[in-house]
Amino acid sequence: MKYLFPVFLFCFFLSMNPAYAQERFTLSGVARDADNGETLIGATILAPGLGLGTTSNEYGFFSISLPARDSVDVVVSYVGYQPRAYRLYLTADTALQAELSTGVQLQEVTVQANSYREQLSSTEMSVETVTTREARLLPVLLGESDILKTIQLKPGIPSGSEGTTGLFVRGGSSDQNLIVLDEAIVYNPNHLFGFFSTFNTDAVKDLKLYKGGFPAAYGGRLSSVIDVKLKEGNNQKISGSGGIGLIASRLTLEGPIRKGNSSFIVSGRRTYVDVFTRLINRANSRKEDYTPIPDYFFYDLNTKVNLGLGKKDRLFVSGYFGRDVFGFDNDFFNFNFDWGNATGTARWNHVFSPRLFANTAFTYSDYQYNITSRITGFSFRVGSNIRDANLKSDFYYEPNNQHTIRFGFNTAYHLFTVGRLKAGSDDGLVQFSAGQDFDGLELGLYFSDEIAFSDRFSLNAGIRLSGFLNDSTFYGAPEPRLAARYSLSDRWSLKASYARMFQYLHLVSSAGVALPTDLWYPSTRRVKPQRSDQLALGVSYLLGEQFLLSWETYYKFLDRQLQFVDGAQLFVNDELEEEFAIGQGEAYGLEFSIEKKQGRLSGWIGYTLALIRLSDFETLAPDGRFAQESEGFGPFSPIYDRRHDLSVVALFEISRRLAATATFVYGSGDLRWLAPGRFTFQDIYGASFEAVVPDYQARNNYRLPPFHRLDLGLVIRFFPKWGESNLSLNVVNAYDRRNTFFIYLEPEYETVDGGGGNQIEIPTRIAAKQVSLFPILPSFTWNFKF
Amino acid sequence: MARIMLPLSFFALLSGMFSCNLEKEVDIELPAYEPRYVVECYLEPGKPITLLLSRSAPYFKPFPDINQDFLDNILVDSADVSIIYNGVEIPLENRLILNPLTLKVFNYYAPVNVPYDTVNPFELRIMDRAGQIISATTRILPVVPIDSLVVQFAENDTLARVLTYITDDPAESNYYRRMMHKGSLDSLAIQDFAADDRLAEGVIAFGTGFNYAVGDTLIATIFHIDKAYHDFLESLSDAASANGNPFAQPSPVISELGGTADAIGIFTGLSYGRKTIVVSR
Repeated sequence: MKYLFPVFLFCFFLSMNPAYAQERFTLSGVARDADNGETLIGATILAPGLGLGTTSNEYGFFSISLPARDSVDVVVSYVGYQPRAYRLYLTADTALQAELSTGVQLQEVTVQANSYREQLSSTEMSVETVTTREARLLPVLLGESDILKTIQLKPGIPSGSEGTTGLFVRGGSSDQNLIVLDEAIVYNPNHLFGFFSTFNTDAVKDLKLYKGGFPAAYGGRLSSVIDVKLKEGNNQKISGSGGIGLIASRLTLEGPIRKGNSSFIVSGRRTYVDVFTRLINRANSRKEDYTPIPDYFFYDLNTKVNLGLGKKDRLFVSGYFGRDVFGFDNDFFNFNFDWGNATGTARWNHVFSPRLFANTAFTYSDYQYNITSRITGFSFRVGSNIRDANLKSDFYYEPNNQHTIRFGFNTAYHLFTVGRLKAGSDDGLVQFSAGQDFDGLELGLYFSDEIAFSDRFSLNAGIRLSGFLNDSTFYGAPEPRLAARYSLSDRWSLKASYARMFQYLHLVSSAGVALPTDLWYPSTRRVKPQRSDQLALGVSYLLGEQFLLSWETYYKFLDRQLQFVDGAQLFVNDELEEEFAIGQGEAYGLEFSIEKKQGRLSGWIGYTLALIRLSDFETLAPDGRFAQESEGFGPFSPIYDRRHDLSVVALFEISRRLAATATFVYGSGDLRWLAPGRFTFQDIYGASFEAVVPDYQARNNYRLPPFHRLDLGLVIRFFPKWGESNLSLNVVNAYDRRNTFFIYLEPEYETVDGGGGNQIEIPTRIAAKQVSLFPILPSFTWNFKF
Repeated sequence: MARIMLPLSFFALLSGMFSCNLEKEVDIELPAYEPRYVVECYLEPGKPITLLLSRSAPYFKPFPDINQDFLDNILVDSADVSIIYNGVEIPLENRLILNPLTLKVFNYYAPVNVPYDTVNPFELRIMDRAGQIISATTRILPVVPIDSLVVQFAENDTLARVLTYITDDPAESNYYRRMMHKGSLDSLAIQDFAADDRLAEGVIAFGTGFNYAVGDTLIATIFHIDKAYHDFLESLSDAASANGNPFAQPSPVISELGGTADAIGIFTGLSYGRKTIVVSR
């Protein structure tokens, strides 16, 4: 009975179409890049004479209802492309394959203004996007362009430790980000402790990050959705691209399977530091005291096939496989550690009618780590993994220009292996074992409608029903989503959103950086799902035709947040839940940005003022300890609580051959948990004397000094006969700022005669040492395209 | 090509020039800290009762000069300290005991040998001059004997390792402290760590590296300890190793001491199995 009212309301809204009296037809199609057939996401389709417009969805599909006319002018535009005008004779539903070319952009200001106006008139807020062009041009550590690091430059998305890909969106922890690659979840988006992401920029089409105002289609994480789309492959001609850098090389090949219709893309990347370390090891192998340098490398492989199956159907099959490999081997000791993700997506797009589009996908995700070790006579093997099979379907229905309806479902089956250990002696006398297996079924069903009440006011109302079943425990809950937009004028737009999110999977990680041994753990009878409620308000203003100013403020309540008890044993523990402490938190902040997307000089300035507090933690184990309220220390902030965060990004196209880039970042220092006191512990007979034992008290009680850094880049382009190449020169940390990576406290000793011929070490002072990650760091990468 | 290679070489040179000096000493201000009492009391069967009562200090407080009242600055005297066993209170005298060989210091002492009693508890009670109380209870656990010490030489090498085997009772949760000394117990341990049996399936082997030559004397000790002592040792080790380590989670020292004084430390029984072996082929 309680659902009747919303159904009635929906029917009422659907009937609110003042234009029904006039005959109308639907113009639909897909926006594409004319040169390579890639779909264009968020292209603007505008009928200027009628004052009507829409944008292409994340699959490039668009649909707009227009009044019947002998002649309708439609302009399709997209930032970075030359706009294209079509004159249509609209006497029936019409399909339009809108193909745009890059090149001389005579009307770039208009294109930019169109794009901004679409942003102003959309209910969507708290969204950041990064293009691969930006990611490629901006200066980065060791020359390895990284789309996850580029998104950190946007407001509200502070990074973790300097140089890493960690994302802490609006006070959320790094596991509260839903990261999807072509619709498949990526559980660990990091290589090398987060210094590089798993996304090879050559294979990525674009990245969109939702910080709030989450569409009902998304669920499962509290703080952000990071949607990474892979390229579909050039359907016009065989082409390739790649790069040779200081630590890695990349190669991408793409081309048509059937010209203009179907295509493929294969992209790979590998680091090669291990090649050099092996040479060094070989050169020193005869030295007795030489300790070999362990092997380390990582690689990624992305593939995608895109098949057109007639006018209404398209099939995509894509996959990702990446591994980090660490190994050490000598006469007595062998140690191998590998970790990585594998994802697979089979996706089918079907156009049921000009007004109804569907995307159905089956995805598979796998993250695992394996450690094997062997010491003469003994062996050791430990690993964890999470595997998902996910079926989802999303429908886009535009009954008229007043409604954009999305509905769909997803069902994901998760399999977890947590801390599987097998160790023992070759003779079988000594044996150790541990490990747990879980499974879980995650469900989601959603519906949303973006309703344009007038040119000034629109509302996106949605509901997501989510659930999780593990063993005999079921959690289910409605997740309301609401977003509204009111335009004060064609330059001013007010926006508001509310979203409730549930998270049924939890990352067990206690370190300040991403470790490969971090593992995912399901909600169980004792470990209930995390929940957040986020309210955001925003104002956007179009300044002239080139600048978009945005201001947003948010408040987020976080419930059932996961921390770990003092001295938690997280590695291989069959009683893992005994190490958990559950509490709550709140985060609020203010974000400001000014952006210029196009022109010779483009870029943005973003500033965030934020605060996050966690409190009321209770341990699941009765005898567990959590140094907080019980000791009278009160609420605390997590280490990534960054009060001020400023980014300035500039890209300057000096000429066709030369582009210069610069980024400047400033942020309050992160928090660290340092011991304010110390004591001396002499221990029992035969044990060593500990002169300085830290006495930790309140958590995260020390703020590191502010960090700031200027990175500069210069891209020199060459145009040989076979294609295009460029040399990308980067100077990271241009003025050699020594930002703090961590601080440690080191006692200094003097040796004194303790009597009886014994020498003892007595501490004389304690020094605080600051360690920086890198000084000024130049690098270069040669990129090519043919 | 030379036009390109020259700047590249310059970049490579710059990379090398600046890849150093990433550490520097800084002044930092830590939150205010109220010193706490620190207790160490180990009840070893057959040995007199000794206890060390000291105090902690703010992290950057200057250390006292070794020649000027070093111990006076650390030790806490004039407290009332007693052990209650089988309903009998055994007072501990405030008296400095220094073992010149091991350099272990205790400031409270009772000339009563600790009985090997694995049934009845021992209680500790300390009251300072201000009337603040420190209390704790412990038991002495049964000895877990070392089954064997096995010497294994590496293939084609003169160095050997020593494996220490014990039999763990799988029906109980047991905790151990393993120590290995070379030459004499008066030297510092070459191996010293706490362990539990949660992953073990009966026999446990503690190994060493291939570091020992023919003629070396090795002394293996396995302490059978309770969970409180195990957690204390582990947290002590975690606290020391997490001191600024970005890959580790800091941990306060987990102490089971009770009372009103907010003290930190350990009150535990010590029972151990010990074996000695001389490395030979």
